[in-house]
Amino acid sequence: MASSAMVRERRFVQVVAIVLALLVMAPFLWLLQMSFKTNAQVFAFPPALIFTPTLENYQALWTSDFRRSFVNSLVVAASATVAPMLLGVPAAYALSRWQARIAGTFSLWILASRMAPPIAFTIPYFLAYRHLELLDTRAGLVIIYMTFNLSLVIWMMRPFFDQLPRALEEAAWIDGASTEQGFWRIVLPLSTPGLAATAILCFLFAWNDFFFALILTRTEAMTAPVAVVNFMNYEGWEWGRIAAGGTMVMLPVLFFSLLVRRYLVAGLTGGAVKG
Amino acid sequence: MTQGHLGRRELTLGAAALSVGALAAPPVVGQSRPFAGQTLNGAAFQSTFFEYVRAYFPEFEEMTGAKLNFNTQAFPVYNQRTDLELSTRGSSLDVINVTFIYSGRWIGAGWLTNLSDFVRDPNRTDPAWDAADFVSGAQSAMQDAQGNTFAFAWEAGAMLMAASRADLMDRANIRMPTTFDELLAACDAIQGRENVSAFVADQLHHWNWIPYLMGMGGKVFRDPPGNLMPALATPEAIRAAQWYAELLSRFGPSGVLSFSDDQAMRTQIAGRANFRTQAITWLVPLAKHADSTVKETVRYALMPAGPQGNFPGSNSHGLGIPIGSRRKELAWEFIKWALSKPMLNRIVSERGYPSVCRRSVITGDAFKSALTLNGQDVASLYLQVLELGGRSGYMKYRTVPVFPQVGDTINRGIARIATRQQDAQASMRQSQQDAIQVLQRAGVALDAE
Amino acid sequence: MRNSRAASGAAQALAAPAGAMGAGRGATRARNRFYALCVMPSLVVLAVITLVPAIYLFITSFTPLDLTRPDTAWNFSRPFVNYREMPADSRLINSLWVQARLSFWTVLLQLLIGVGFALLLNTRSRFIEALRTVFLIPMVLPPIVVAIIWKVLYTPDISPLHLGTSMLGFVVPSLITHPDWALTAIIIADTWQWFPFTMLMTLAALQMMPQEMVDAAKVDGASAWQMIWHVTLPFLKGVLLVAGLFRLIDSIKAFPLIFILTEGGPGSVTEVTNYYSFLQAFNFSFLGYSSAITVVLLAVTVVMSWGIVRLVGWGQHGE
Repeated sequence: MASSAMVRERRFVQVVAIVLALLVMAPFLWLLQMSFKTNAQVFAFPPALIFTPTLENYQALWTSDFRRSFVNSLVVAASATVAPMLLGVPAAYALSRWQARIAGTFSLWILASRMAPPIAFTIPYFLAYRHLELLDTRAGLVIIYMTFNLSLVIWMMRPFFDQLPRALEEAAWIDGASTEQGFWRIVLPLSTPGLAATAILCFLFAWNDFFFALILTRTEAMTAPVAVVNFMNYEGWEWGRIAAGGTMVMLPVLFFSLLVRRYLVAGLTGGAVKG
Repeated sequence: MTQGHLGRRELTLGAAALSVGALAAPPVVGQSRPFAGQTLNGAAFQSTFFEYVRAYFPEFEEMTGAKLNFNTQAFPVYNQRTDLELSTRGSSLDVINVTFIYSGRWIGAGWLTNLSDFVRDPNRTDPAWDAADFVSGAQSAMQDAQGNTFAFAWEAGAMLMAASRADLMDRANIRMPTTFDELLAACDAIQGRENVSAFVADQLHHWNWIPYLMGMGGKVFRDPPGNLMPALATPEAIRAAQWYAELLSRFGPSGVLSFSDDQAMRTQIAGRANFRTQAITWLVPLAKHADSTVKETVRYALMPAGPQGNFPGSNSHGLGIPIGSRRKELAWEFIKWALSKPMLNRIVSERGYPSVCRRSVITGDAFKSALTLNGQDVASLYLQVLELGGRSGYMKYRTVPVFPQVGDTINRGIARIATRQQDAQASMRQSQQDAIQVLQRAGVALDAE
Repeated sequence: MRNSRAASGAAQALAAPAGAMGAGRGATRARNRFYALCVMPSLVVLAVITLVPAIYLFITSFTPLDLTRPDTAWNFSRPFVNYREMPADSRLINSLWVQARLSFWTVLLQLLIGVGFALLLNTRSRFIEALRTVFLIPMVLPPIVVAIIWKVLYTPDISPLHLGTSMLGFVVPSLITHPDWALTAIIIADTWQWFPFTMLMTLAALQMMPQEMVDAAKVDGASAWQMIWHVTLPFLKGVLLVAGLFRLIDSIKAFPLIFILTEGGPGSVTEVTNYYSFLQAFNFSFLGYSSAITVVLLAVTVVMSWGIVRLVGWGQHGE
C-alpha cells in the first residue's frame, strides 16, 4: 500500500517536473525555432509550429561583419582565460600552502570587485583607455576582464589545492625536488579537473560580458554580444537573423556551461559558496 | 614601369602627405589610386541616403585605391557611440555623420575638423565642386559663430505629412488635413478601419512633437542660443503635450511608444498606419521602397498648421571629419565625392532620394521628376518647408549644444503623459525641472524663472 | 611561469647547502620565497586593475567632469557639488525606488520558485537528475541572449504570448510600453533567468541535510507538508539568506534586460539607478556626476558583500 502510494507520488512528481521543464524551456526554444524561419514565416499568423527550416539566416550572418565579431569574442575570451590562469593558479597554490592569514582580508576585496556594478570600472577604464589608446582593442577588453576572472581563478583553485594533502609534495621535497618542481609535477597534474572547470568558467564569463564590450569597443574589437544588439537595432526587424545571432552567441557556451554545472554556483559567487 | 611600381610611388607620396599634413602637396585624385592600401572608416546613422551611396562605393574604391569601411547604426545608437568616440579625440573614425542635434555640441567642443581650410585650398578642392551651392539653411547648423564650416549637409530633412491609405480617406470623404483640428478629425474617422491605425510616429518626441508645440504657441527655450531657459511648463506647452500624447495613445498602433524611425516607417509601408508627420526621407519610401504595399495609395501634403502658425521641422545632417582622424585627406576626398553635383544628381534620378542640399540639384529637372510621387509634386512642398525654416529661424533650438540632454527630458515627459503616469501639467512641470537641472549640470547659466 | 623558474633557481641554490633533505630552515625560507613570488604578480595586477580604477572613480566623483568641456577635468573647485545635487535629483530618487521594487520582487520570486523547484527535484532518480540540467539553462545563457529572447516574447507582432491570448479572444497590450506592466515584465524575465541559482544552492543544501533529521520526523508521523515546514525550511534558512543576499547584490547590476527591453521607459518607470548612471555617463557625458552615483552604488555593494563574507565565514582557512 505504502509503496504504491509512493510510486504514484513519484510519477506525479515526474509529470510535474516535465511540465515545468517545458515551460521553463519554452522561451529559449522559441528563439531557437525562430532562427530557422524566414521573415515571412516569422510574421505569419497563426505561427506555424511545423515548417520547413532554412539556414539562410545563419548564412547571412556568417558572410557579414558578424563573423569578425564572433572571432573577436573567441580570441578575447580565450585570452581572458589563459592570462588569469597563468597568474592565478600559482597564486592560489601559494595561498593554499602558505597558511597565509592574509587570505581573510582579501575575501571582501575579491567579492566586492566581482559584485560591483560594471559601470564602477567602466568609467575609469574608459577615461584611461582614451589616453592609452586601448579603446576598441582586444587587449583592452582582456585587461578589464581580468578584474573578474583573475580573482575567480584564485578563489576557485584554492579549495582544490586545499584538498590535496601536503604529504604528496612533502614526499617529493624529501626526495630533493624543489617547491616549484613539486608544484609542476605533483600538484598540477592532480588538479586537472579543477583547472578545466575553472578555465571553462573564465571563458564563459568573458564570453558573456556585454557592458564592458558595449562601452569599450567600437568596430575593430566588437564582440559577438554587442554585434547582435547592433544589428538588431536597424536590421529592419529581421527577427530571423536576430534569433540566429542570439543562437550563435549562446551555443558555444551553453554546452560548456552544462559541463561544469557542478561549479556554477561557486563561479557565480566568486568562490564564496560551494553550491 | 609596371603598374605596381607606379602604385608604390603614389603610396609613398600619399603617406608623406598625410604625415606632414597640409605642408606637403596633397595627392591629386587625377592620378590613379593615390590612396592605395588605406582603409577609410566611416559611420553614420542608418538612412536611405547611405544605402543608396553604398551601391557606388566600389567606384570610390576604384578611384582612390582605398577601402571603404562604412558602418551604419540606428539613430540614437549612432549618436551615443559617436559622441563617446569623439570625446576621446581618437582616430578610429575618419568620416562621420554630424547629426543636427549634436552639431552645436561637437563643434563647440572642438571635436570636428575645420573644413573651410580644405575648401579654400585649390589643391585640395577644385572650385568647380562649388561649396557655395549648399543651401544656407542646411549649412547654418554646420558652422560656428565665425562662419567656419565643419560639415557639409547631405540631408535637409523637411517635415511633411504623408498618408499611406488615401483609399480609406477617400471612402470616408476626408481630405488631407491642413490644421491640427482637421488632423484629429481625420484620425477619428480613419481609426480602426481595416485594422489600420490612424497615426504613427517614432519615439523621438523631441523632434516630432515640436512643430505641434510651436503651432500652439509654445517653444523649447525662451530665446536660443542666448537665453536657454526652458519653456516646457508654459500653458501652451502643457496643452500641446496633452494634445500630442493623446494623438499617440488614441490613434497609434500598439507599442508605438517604443518605435524607432525604421519601425514606424515599416508600419506605414505595410499600410497598417495612415498618417505620419516626419522628415521627407522617411516618407518618400512609401512611394519608392521595394517592400512598399502602399505605392498607389500614398498622398503627401504640408504638415498641418496650428492656431499660431505652421512650423514644420527642418534639420540637416552633414558629413564631417573627426579632429583625431589620421586620414583627413582621404576623408575629404570621400566627402567631396559623396556630395558632388554628379553624385547627388545621380542618386536623385536613379533612386529618388529627396533630401539633397544643393540648390542646383533641388531646382533641377531630375529632382522635380524624381519627386513627383503618385502624381503629386512633392519637390515644391519640400522647397516650401526649407524656405519656411530659413525665414524665422525657429529651428535654432536644436543646435544648442545641450539639446541632447534637454531632448531626453522632453521624450520622457511626453511618454509619461501618453502612458497616463502623470497628467500633462505634472509631467511637463517635471520635464521643466529636469531640464533646468540638466542645464545647470552642463554649466549653463540660467536667469531666474 | 618565468617567475617560478627564477624562483626555482633561487630555491635550488638555497636548498642545496641545507642538504638533500630539503627540510632545513633555508629550504623553508626558499619555499616561502617561492610562495611569495607566486602570489605577488597576481596581487599587483589585481591592485592595479581594481583598486586603482576604484580610486580614480572616487576622485572623479569630486569633479564636474564633462568631456565636452575640457575645463571640468581635475577641477576640484567645488568638490561636493555632485553629492549635494543627488538628493535634489528627483530622477535619481525615482531610480532608487524602482531599484528597490525590482530587487524586492526578483529576490522574493527567485527564492520562492528556486526553493519550490528544489524541493520538487530533490529525489534521487536519474531522470530527475537529467531534468535538473534542463532547468539550469536560463542561468547559463549569455544575459544578452536572455534579453533578446524576452524582447521577442514581448513584441506583439511575433510573440507567442500575444498571439496565444489574441486567439483566446482578449487583447494584451504591449507590456514593455505599459507603465503598470513594464517593470513586471522585467521582473518576470529576470526571475526566469536566475531562479536556477537559488534552486542549485538549495539543492546542494538539501543533499547535505542529515538523514537522521528526516527519519526522526518520519518516525514522529510528520506528513510531507509538515516535514517541509517544520524541518526542511528551518534547515535551509542559512542558505536562503546567503542566496537572497547574492541575488540582491546582483540585482543592482541589472542592465541588459533594461537596455534591450525598455531603455528605462516608458518615462522612467524601469529606470534603475545603475541604468541612470549609465545614461548620465555615456549618453550625456556627465562623467563626474555619474561617478558620484556609482560611488554610492559601490558603497552599497561593498557593505552587502561584507555581510556575505561574515555570514559565509569566507576566507578563513578550512571552511
